[in-house]
Amino acid sequence: MTQALKIDNLPTPKEEQWKYTNLPRVLGDVAELTPQEPDEILIHKNRGWIGEQAEEIVWNGTGGQLHNPRLKIVLEEGAQLTLIERHEGEGRYWKNMATEIEIGANAQLTHVRSQEDSDEGVQTNMAHIHMERDSTYNAFTMNLGGRLTRLDIHAVLAGPNAECGLNGVSLLQGQQHADTTILMEHVAPHCVSNQFYRSLLDDESRGVFQGKVHVHQEAQKTDGYQLSNAILLSPKAEMDTKPELEIYADDVKCSHGATTGQLDEEPVFYLRSRGLNEAQARMLLIQAFVDEVVDKIGDKNIEADMHEKAEKWLKQVL
Amino acid sequence: MIEIKNLYASVETDDGEKEILKGLDLSIESGQVHAIMGPNGAGKSTLSYVLAGRQGYNVTDGSITVDEQEFTSLAPEERAAAGMFLAFQYPVEIPGVNMNTFLKTAINAVRKSRGEEELDALGLLKLIKAKTKALGISDDMMKRAVNVGFSGGEKKRNEILQMAMLEPKFSVLDETDSGLDIDALKIVADGVNALRSPERSFLVITHYQRLLDYIKPDVVHVLADGKIVKTGGPELALELEEKGYADFIGEAA
Repeated sequence: MTQALKIDNLPTPKEEQWKYTNLPRVLGDVAELTPQEPDEILIHKNRGWIGEQAEEIVWNGTGGQLHNPRLKIVLEEGAQLTLIERHEGEGRYWKNMATEIEIGANAQLTHVRSQEDSDEGVQTNMAHIHMERDSTYNAFTMNLGGRLTRLDIHAVLAGPNAECGLNGVSLLQGQQHADTTILMEHVAPHCVSNQFYRSLLDDESRGVFQGKVHVHQEAQKTDGYQLSNAILLSPKAEMDTKPELEIYADDVKCSHGATTGQLDEEPVFYLRSRGLNEAQARMLLIQAFVDEVVDKIGDKNIEADMHEKAEKWLKQVL
Repeated sequence: MIEIKNLYASVETDDGEKEILKGLDLSIESGQVHAIMGPNGAGKSTLSYVLAGRQGYNVTDGSITVDEQEFTSLAPEERAAAGMFLAFQYPVEIPGVNMNTFLKTAINAVRKSRGEEELDALGLLKLIKAKTKALGISDDMMKRAVNVGFSGGEKKRNEILQMAMLEPKFSVLDETDSGLDIDALKIVADGVNALRSPERSFLVITHYQRLLDYIKPDVVHVLADGKIVKTGGPELALELEEKGYADFIGEAA
């Protein structure tokens, strides 16, 4: 890592998984960035440990640097943790992050990412999640910042009755680009997975959602659900969505849905006929669009924090 | 007093503008209930949307005045503030907005435009409690998102609830009875009857005479091919129930 990466080593849109995200173009000359030693955080919770309060990590980006953050979370059997990761920074940098999460039997992790990287900052984050039986992983990402961000999640539901919820909101403007790529791998039977992502795209921003549910032959009674909704607030905004199901078991319940479009006019008229002016009606509807995902977090304080961030963004954009 | 004079209106469709209302005249005295009946495609729903000011429903000629205030150039919210209310035939679902938030926002928006003081949380709560009780609307329903997962009857009761809270002087009920069983119909009718007063007028649009057994109209009109083709007393509704609209369809064609 002390040697600068060569630009031709980076994935390009020629690769299927990176079709919609041109990392080399946005990064420009990587040689100008100074590679940093990996910044490692390990969180390990023993058997039965219960977190009373949410824990917080702040990852800060500094102009001109190539950061290599490493996060490893290990929850032993029955442990419960709520973790908030805050991504911040200034200037042009690249955070090339790796996240590794092991959730033991009957353990529960609520994992919130509040991504407010700098306007010129780039973040790539490869997250591996391994889930044992009866475990729960509930993740929420608020994508607000960054010039380009890509969160690549690979979740493996390895033990029966595991439940994995991956949710997120992207609020993008200018030339921002946010990519969420998911591989939800159902290996064991009787597991539940949910993916729920919503994007509001203004100006020339671009959202990407590629979500795949892979159900192995042994993973009978899988319940897999995937939904991506995007509202384009500008004619130049773009959303690329690629939902995929790959199913080898014969007794499963899987569905996916994706919508991209403008705000529906019918509810706008309904609200206006009840006295709200057009701006109020649109604000209320768009706020609700975002809130429905935020409310999946399940922690009232964090939800309030995320609602506030979304509201601030909306007031500035609408 | 509501006066609709020589109203022509067209609807934007994929094939261009289509004229639906073709010289409609109607006046409703304050305190009166008028019913409009008519066959499918006569322009009943178009009339309700034109009155509420929906985008894509364009008035090409004529006028709508409510207590001498010209309506045709007003935005939907300005009409609501001026006292117009439309009970939708198909109430719209609004995921993520719960009933309480919706009602609070609507009431205070209307009160503000009318130059009245906005209600505080307690005042709103009291008002909501009083009105929901009369309409048999449960607390559980108030916690849900607007119209999401509501039964047909719940949706229509919700429309009447909003009407009761916004206190309009001119209410249009667009097929509020369709799809309701007799018990739900009675609740809805009681809700409307409770609001009847010398200052308020109602226009009840319906396909079926049954509703008019419970909401007694002063005047009944027949709408066919975009015009009022016949006007009479409550007995006209009974006559239509018996004979159907065949005469009027023939006349219009």
